[in-house]
Amino acid sequence: MTPRTTHRTNKSKPVRGTEVRGRRNDKGVARYYLLYEYLSGALNDGTIPAGAALPSEPTLVSSYKLSRTTVRRALARLEGEGRIVRRRGSGTFARQNRTPPRLHLNLHDFFADAASLASKMASTILRFEFGPVPASLRELQPQLGQQSLIIQRVHRSHGSPYMLTTAYVPEQLGRKIRKSAVSRNSLLTVLEQLGPRITTTEYTASAIAADAVAAKRLDVPLGAPLLRTRAVLTIERDQLCAVIDSACRPDRFNVRAELERNGGRNSNSGWHLKRT
Amino acid sequence: MTRATNAGIGVTRYLQVYTVLSQALAEGDIAAGEALPSEPSLVRQYGVSRTTVRRALARLAAERCIVRRRGSGTFARDSVTKSASARQIAAILDDPRSASNNTTVRVLELKQTPVPDFLHREWPEFGATVMTIRKVQYVEHQPVALVTAYVPEEVGRQLTARRLGNDTVLTALDKLGFHGAVVEEEASAVAADPVTAKHLDYNVGSPVLQMRHLARDAHGRILSHANYLYRPDRYEIHTVVERDRNRRGRQAFRL
Repeated sequence: MTPRTTHRTNKSKPVRGTEVRGRRNDKGVARYYLLYEYLSGALNDGTIPAGAALPSEPTLVSSYKLSRTTVRRALARLEGEGRIVRRRGSGTFARQNRTPPRLHLNLHDFFADAASLASKMASTILRFEFGPVPASLRELQPQLGQQSLIIQRVHRSHGSPYMLTTAYVPEQLGRKIRKSAVSRNSLLTVLEQLGPRITTTEYTASAIAADAVAAKRLDVPLGAPLLRTRAVLTIERDQLCAVIDSACRPDRFNVRAELERNGGRNSNSGWHLKRT
Repeated sequence: MTRATNAGIGVTRYLQVYTVLSQALAEGDIAAGEALPSEPSLVRQYGVSRTTVRRALARLAAERCIVRRRGSGTFARDSVTKSASARQIAAILDDPRSASNNTTVRVLELKQTPVPDFLHREWPEFGATVMTIRKVQYVEHQPVALVTAYVPEEVGRQLTARRLGNDTVLTALDKLGFHGAVVEEEASAVAADPVTAKHLDYNVGSPVLQMRHLARDAHGRILSHANYLYRPDRYEIHTVVERDRNRRGRQAFRL
């Protein structure tokens, strides 16, 4: 069968097909994953440049001796990651942006930005349950009590993980939160739909080494540096609504702020967040 | 799939395991007196060899963070106390009045250099030559931040190590008549490279809080670009954002 759209990779590297088949026996890795990895590498290093056509499905089937289902699974994953686009009738093409774009939270516009960020990301709920508050957090935020609603989520964009968040909501307020609402919105939005108008966020930024859970969820090596943030949402810095801890991939997510000097010429007069 | 450690961040595996465990101990994720996971379970969890796990535990034991009891396991010591919490140090650094009492600065470098590529690409208005300042900030004699700042030549010409003293670059410029009005900043995280690790008395590959900022005067002229690398166990950035726009969002601010 002669494919309509040929790319040099399928002719110049037929030996790859052998590798794809052979390696499965060696490592017990799914065949689709090996094809996925190979294509992913070709997209990353520019062997298949942006805009170029990928080998057609029948070509991939015949040159790698894989089933059509396997080929489709590999392509579906690349498509899910936003790295290829499939156009009906004309083929599959490499997309322009191969690295996921950076996203930012602008602290000086926190309340608008948190919601808009949530709309750019899809979240998967890993935990949604009432459980004990870690002692170190309880010490800082006694209002959380012994037990709180704990919501752990991984947030993705363009198919790639950006951050792992763990939110703690005081039990009484937590009882009103529905899991389905959290899967679609930022926690800030969900809380406000329930009533309390959050007036203040105390925001802390630091760095942390990826532990086993974060490494797995964010697809980074153990010990990799992550940006860690904590947002304490309150009403008038008095009534606690939630504590949201995040571990963020620093290559994909950063926190920004714009500051303006307080009145007076002396630099010791301090700075404030830009008013928007 | 268990994610194994790898050499992708350029440090040995034992150091990665050591970093993660010592963080868990310092944060209280493993509380004082509590048992650590067994060696075999650490091997499984981190995807490393038993030798690697043992090496990391040996170092934690030598640093008196854990105690190993024959036949019963490994435990977090009761006496794991942080010298001063990040929060306390932040308060010291952020208060400009007390800065000179508790913080000291060691200037590593202050000289005219060609503008670095990244700076020239992003802000050509820096010109061809800049004043480059590298310094270490100490709080109570402990290194907290490694700072690299660039100042356009015509702004920074009169800066000297003496004029800089313990002041921040922006404060020193202020005294020279260049008044900062707006600062854009961005927080991120990086792994400590050998130079950073040396100056901050820290481990290579351990996470470092990175803060970059660009300061301009009221006319939009660039005054400085600075890159701060902070030890996260000694420093964190704390910001209060108020929704009501008539009130000021405050940021504990250090330069």
